[in-house]
Amino acid sequence: MYPFGKGFNRYVPLLLLLIPFLLYVIFYFGPSVLTVIYSFTDVKNIPGSPVNFVGLDNYYDVFFSGNSGERWRSITNTLIFMVVVTVVQNGVALFIAVLINQRLRGDNFYRAVFFMPVVLGVAVVSLIWGMMFDPLSGPVNMLYEWLFGYKDMFFASFTHAFGYIIFVQIWMYMGYSMLIFLSGLQSVPKDLYEAGYIDGTTKWQSFRHITFPLIASSFTVNMLLSIIGAMSTFDIILATTDGRFNTRTMAYDVYKETFRGSLEMGLPSALSVVQFLMILVFVIVAVKQMRKREVEY
Amino acid sequence: MKKSKSFTILSYSVIFVLLILYIAPLILVLNVSLKSYPEYLMNPIGLVKEVQWSNYVDAWTEGNFANYFINSIIYTVAATVLTIIVSVMGAFPVARGYVKWSGFIYLFFLLSQFLPNPMVSQYKLMLSLRESLDIFGYDTKLGYIILKTSGTGVVFMLFVGYIKSISRDLDEAAGMDGSGYVRYLFQMIMPLMKPVIATGVILTAIGIWNDFVGPIMYLPSKVNYPITFGLKEFKGQYGNNWPLLACGITLVAAPLMVLYSFIQKYLVDGALAGAVKS
Repeated sequence: MYPFGKGFNRYVPLLLLLIPFLLYVIFYFGPSVLTVIYSFTDVKNIPGSPVNFVGLDNYYDVFFSGNSGERWRSITNTLIFMVVVTVVQNGVALFIAVLINQRLRGDNFYRAVFFMPVVLGVAVVSLIWGMMFDPLSGPVNMLYEWLFGYKDMFFASFTHAFGYIIFVQIWMYMGYSMLIFLSGLQSVPKDLYEAGYIDGTTKWQSFRHITFPLIASSFTVNMLLSIIGAMSTFDIILATTDGRFNTRTMAYDVYKETFRGSLEMGLPSALSVVQFLMILVFVIVAVKQMRKREVEY
Repeated sequence: MKKSKSFTILSYSVIFVLLILYIAPLILVLNVSLKSYPEYLMNPIGLVKEVQWSNYVDAWTEGNFANYFINSIIYTVAATVLTIIVSVMGAFPVARGYVKWSGFIYLFFLLSQFLPNPMVSQYKLMLSLRESLDIFGYDTKLGYIILKTSGTGVVFMLFVGYIKSISRDLDEAAGMDGSGYVRYLFQMIMPLMKPVIATGVILTAIGIWNDFVGPIMYLPSKVNYPITFGLKEFKGQYGNNWPLLACGITLVAAPLMVLYSFIQKYLVDGALAGAVKS
């Protein structure tokens, strides 16, 4: 079973394993569990202050406290963000993946270009789009004026800023979804299409009845990644509008309440738990729906 | 199968439009970065007339980028190396079952992907670490590196999967020859894991280098800023001076672009492995 004798006792692997284990427990698992516990207390970010159990008060405050109007706004924003990002990002990614998969010339180059924003990172990507979307001198406004005859404020517009953030998020991560679809598509056996061709299927029919069922597992992975990603992402919001102009989401609120608001930590904890439960519900529903469509071959 | 010509043309045109959407912003940034501020104001999108290389020098010195680069390199290298070592130490005994309850430990680590957001109490923890240890925790380089070192997550899963494909006979042979566990792990197993370690290094390093929120939360002192935060500050300082800001963007993005063009193939494989197995 354990082949290392001769002077080294069998506790060495255990000792080494203890290091990652402790790191994980102290910095991630512990804080995660503590967040849930904190959500039922009035813990403050002041060392040594007393901590009392307050039941569901924090949860009540999440939804019905003084600025609850803004909170509902964040919750609706979060849902809009998640639905639009998941649908559009995966839709575009699947379409592009199908196009690239028909052995276009230069397909590796396209893959590399579309994946690039992930490598550049949020700081760079948000500044690049800040420049493109500059209300005074940005090229997009010149295009708008030429096309539609009006200018926009982009990240400083109360009605449109959130839409542009959604666009930047999709622009940034579309390539990631596309890659996952591409790898799914490449595993679909070619002879199935030939069989379909002999039977006289149209392009759409062969996609609907051959491709789609066979890449359903890539679909599941992509759905999971974009739901979890969209529900918990806020770095793009932080980097572009910093939550102004109606662009707050729940994840952004957790950050804001923890680091810049009051010293109360119960409320942001409760908000994190609510956010977590929402992610859980959407993920479970999505996986159940997708699993039904997966087939083996 | 027969390919219809019109469909192929349509595909190329759709991809061409999308390529423009991805490449045009980069070209624009490069173009603007070479303009003088007056020229930019007169003609923001036209092709540059007089190339101003001095913009880059100005941005580099005024943005304090040299220091931020060094900080970013310290965080990325240290945390990536530690993550890899720690992940190997964890993944090997778990993959082999050399410790009790390996299956359970694996699941426990796997849980890291599905836990509630730890941000709030992580912050409190880092603050109290700083309070009690002073050189460690909130606003210290060391504290940030340890926080960014995780022996769990995607890299751990990748390693466990890969180690399972390394023959057990090798363990026994090494044991017979009297090799110790630690030596075996680092001199035999790690070299065998080269491909998967390369993937792990790339994924971890890009994640740490590009982290935008972490530094804002945990590194408020100027001496500790990494490049992402430095760029944010630079934007705050220079507002809408886009030629100078464009230089900043280019300075931060260029090394990543160069690196990306070399490791692109591995990165793509790595991103897929991480996505599909987690």
